[in-house]
Amino acid sequence: MIQNLIFTKEVNKSNTNFIPKLDIENIDLKEIIPEKLLRKDLVIPNVPEVEIVRHFVQLSNNNYGVDTGMYPLGSCTMKYNPKINEVVARLPHFSNIHPLQDENQGALEIIVELSTLLCEITGMDGFTLQPAAGAHGELTGLLLMKKYFEKYDPMKNKIIIPDSAHGTNPASAKMAGFSIIELQSNESGEVPLDQLEFAMKQGDVAGIMLTNPNTLGLFDRNILEITNIIHTYGGLCYYDGANLNPILGISRPRDMGFDIIHLNLHKTFSTPHGGGGPGSGPVGVIEKLIPFLPEPCLFTKKEGIICKEKNSDSIGRIKAFWGNFGVILRAYAYILALGERGLRNIGKVSVLNANYMRIKLREKYFLPYDRICQHEFVLSDKGIPNGVTTEDLAKRILDYGFYAPTIYFPLIVNGALMIEPTETESKSNLDKFIQIMFKIHDEAQNYPELLKSAPKNTPIGRLDAVTAARKPILKE
Amino acid sequence: MEYELRDDLKYTSTHEWVKIEETLTTIGISDYAQHQLGDIVFVELPDTGLVLEKGSNAAEIESVKAVGDLIMPLSGEIVEVNQNLIDSPEIINTSPYGEGWIIKVKISHTDELNDLLSYNDYKILIESEEK
Amino acid sequence: MDFIPHDDDTIADMLKDLGINDILDLFKDIPKKLLNTEFDLPEAMSEPNLLKKISDISKKNKLYSSSFLGAGCYYHYIPSTVDFVISRSEFYTSYTPYQAEASQGYLQAMYEYQTIISRLTQMDISNASMYDGSTALAEAAIMSTIITNKSTILLIEGIHPEYIDVVKTYCWGQGINVKIIKEEDLYNEINEDISSVLIQSPNFFGDIIDMSLFSRKVRNLNPKCLIVQVMTDPSCLGILNPPGATDVDIFVAEGQSFGISPNFGGPGLGIFTAKEKFLRKMPGRLVGKTKELFGEQEGFLLTLQAREQHIRREKASSNICTNQALCALSALVYLLSVGKTGLKEIATQNVQKSDYLKKALVKIKGFKILNQRPTYNEFMIEVPNLKNLLIECKKNDLLPPLDISHYFPNMVNTALVCVTESNSRESLEKFINIAKIVSEVTTG
Repeated sequence: MIQNLIFTKEVNKSNTNFIPKLDIENIDLKEIIPEKLLRKDLVIPNVPEVEIVRHFVQLSNNNYGVDTGMYPLGSCTMKYNPKINEVVARLPHFSNIHPLQDENQGALEIIVELSTLLCEITGMDGFTLQPAAGAHGELTGLLLMKKYFEKYDPMKNKIIIPDSAHGTNPASAKMAGFSIIELQSNESGEVPLDQLEFAMKQGDVAGIMLTNPNTLGLFDRNILEITNIIHTYGGLCYYDGANLNPILGISRPRDMGFDIIHLNLHKTFSTPHGGGGPGSGPVGVIEKLIPFLPEPCLFTKKEGIICKEKNSDSIGRIKAFWGNFGVILRAYAYILALGERGLRNIGKVSVLNANYMRIKLREKYFLPYDRICQHEFVLSDKGIPNGVTTEDLAKRILDYGFYAPTIYFPLIVNGALMIEPTETESKSNLDKFIQIMFKIHDEAQNYPELLKSAPKNTPIGRLDAVTAARKPILKE
Repeated sequence: MEYELRDDLKYTSTHEWVKIEETLTTIGISDYAQHQLGDIVFVELPDTGLVLEKGSNAAEIESVKAVGDLIMPLSGEIVEVNQNLIDSPEIINTSPYGEGWIIKVKISHTDELNDLLSYNDYKILIESEEK
Repeated sequence: MDFIPHDDDTIADMLKDLGINDILDLFKDIPKKLLNTEFDLPEAMSEPNLLKKISDISKKNKLYSSSFLGAGCYYHYIPSTVDFVISRSEFYTSYTPYQAEASQGYLQAMYEYQTIISRLTQMDISNASMYDGSTALAEAAIMSTIITNKSTILLIEGIHPEYIDVVKTYCWGQGINVKIIKEEDLYNEINEDISSVLIQSPNFFGDIIDMSLFSRKVRNLNPKCLIVQVMTDPSCLGILNPPGATDVDIFVAEGQSFGISPNFGGPGLGIFTAKEKFLRKMPGRLVGKTKELFGEQEGFLLTLQAREQHIRREKASSNICTNQALCALSALVYLLSVGKTGLKEIATQNVQKSDYLKKALVKIKGFKILNQRPTYNEFMIEVPNLKNLLIECKKNDLLPPLDISHYFPNMVNTALVCVTESNSRESLEKFINIAKIVSEVTTG
């Protein structure tokens, strides 16, 4: 059952519950500000507090979160969000601090400490915590590349991106002024070395953007050759850290040969997704790129803290103030909580969970790349009878109380279904999901209508996306 | 899968169809193309009077899940655009070769006509893409 | 701490099912020399130890009892309802609502957010948020160049210096020319090649610009040029003429004032709105209302996704993916909680209290108010000895106003003062007292 909009709860009653009583003389506004600058009316509702609270509690009942159940969403790393992070983030000496105040040593210490820890985890030499999200981090990293090559080799204005890449990769490259060379993954789902070398030989390629393990959940076995080729021709290697989870505690992007990386704190480092943000996308670099980091350059080197308001080689500012501090704080708490021992287990168990699901599900579903996966794997709707599509499968999964995996991504697999359990799912939960997937497979065979008309057990049935796009209604 | 093809039209490898008449050339997207896109929700039409080269983007066709470019199969001036598509973009789905035409062009380089695909060539192309 | 639910027996069972003995066998695709299990990281901590450690670090920040500092981040009272709602884990632990049927709660909230922002600003459409005010402005600048197909933008002096820097960085990325001009030079600088004019009102120095007049000026000079307005404290919309009533084409703002704690500057909320005709060029997520395919109920979903990067890839006008959904939810709950009456009262008090302080300061020897135009809740003062004023403020547990030389090194002894409804009369009197003392000491 869907709730009425909050606007239907409007009352004709003043509400000053949240406003301090005016303790100075009540001068008429019009005596201070000319009337022509004032607004004529304001059409937002007055709603009683009890109605507001009930409204949002009821809305939350119609919403699924990680605390409700598993999100097997590939490339999203929907792991458990520890509650202690929420306590830490609400400490008033953090939540009530102004970004421009002088007495900010505690906040700066968190930023610097997290940067140091991220350097250790990834092998990079310096970090900026300014970017507000992964895509923002990508843009930052690419602008770093742009500035670097403007200084050293202006001919290099292209970026190589594999066809399995997340859409933000080419979009970010374009926002940074690069043109894109798309490389087709080979039959093993990996980057073809010969084509890579051919592209680099042209002399105008600034570098490559890679996710490793890639969006098929496969670790590119030629990674060292790839980064070597790029470097041989004077390029830089960018690592999209969305898939860092499986190699946490196992391997480091720096060792693979990457020069610039971004991380998603709201994926790998357990900060909550928030329904679509806020996130945080720190960018790490090797030594020679440190001078190009965005301002203010508050970063750490192994020897100590370096802070510069202005830096001659810097790409400039990419966001006001210090980054999404509230998110940074949560990630810091998470890393401290886990410690070395905890972090070392994340890679192992996330990969164990994914492979466990993979070998079971491939009994019924088509697995285009049938080899050991890392934290995620991709199924396809190939062979599903009766014209049942990946979308139908996903909607039917909702009926069984689970959230659906990522669908139709990566684009290189037709009807893709990308599954990532993460390390915080219990075996019994994985088994439950597997059983449901088997049941749905049978349904596709014998009762396809159940899938095509799904979902039926959710507050609302399948929605008309076509009319919504043709005649958008974006407000009441 | 059976896609409709018209034998009185020419085609391109990017799935446009071309109807060549004396004064004007009409261009749209094929049945195969509209099927790939799915339900079309919006078409961004070019301004009339615009002169575009072969290979450039003339229009953008959006569905819920994808975006397709209408690529100029020939160079020329946009003389007319199908205004009905503004309110009813779905015409392209229901009548891709008829009422779903997209632009009318006055072509400038007749030698470019030789590069277009015949009905048979296009049929073979779709069959190979389907595999 | 350990958040992994498996015990050793379970792991052994799973390994058995996989037909392997050692979990590290699952990493055989990784070249041996890349396998690195030597990490120099601190020991794990349990919750009580963790909380103590981080608490101790937090105490190295100072929390003041009252603030006179604004400059892009503002202290407004946050109703208890806000944290109550955003603490519900069905909201904060949820994913982007791509599977609409399982996310109606959040989608409806975002639809309500878009609606309330649209009404507040009187702009036709609002998206479901950008990262913050500064990046929203940068994206608005880029959007204007895509719409007009021109590649030069004008920035009117008075935009927050950090916002200007962000716009410059983004524009450099795309080869867009940025020119910063004075408002009075508009006549000389606007020509056919200008894509848009960007202006902040109330501006960084506190001035309320007559946007009706400004828009008319721009339209007369070049009707094709777009008008982009930015605001750092949109609480002023409780009383000021909204952008939709002054012919603004794209309006962006920092929404932190709507129920979001200062949090040392982030996360914030990028409010992003525009005229209807620019809908298809708008970046960011959009929530739409629609009907069921097989039923009669109305519901909500993410729509017009074909604008976004996951479909358009390099043809997208923006790369934005994750936005600031939970912050948008905070803003929605805030605006509903204070309501029409509350927002008007809050904005009025901001004006009344800052006016009270202005009137008192101007009477003090050596103190000058530099603003020539009406102001909202911030204003500039020239003081005889700013250094002393700042020290005295801190001694009295007041977060001092901004020393403007932080951004404008040539402007010495000048401060940007912010007064909101959260400044009690007591704090105002304290400040006035300090000003008097500083004046006496300096001017004798």
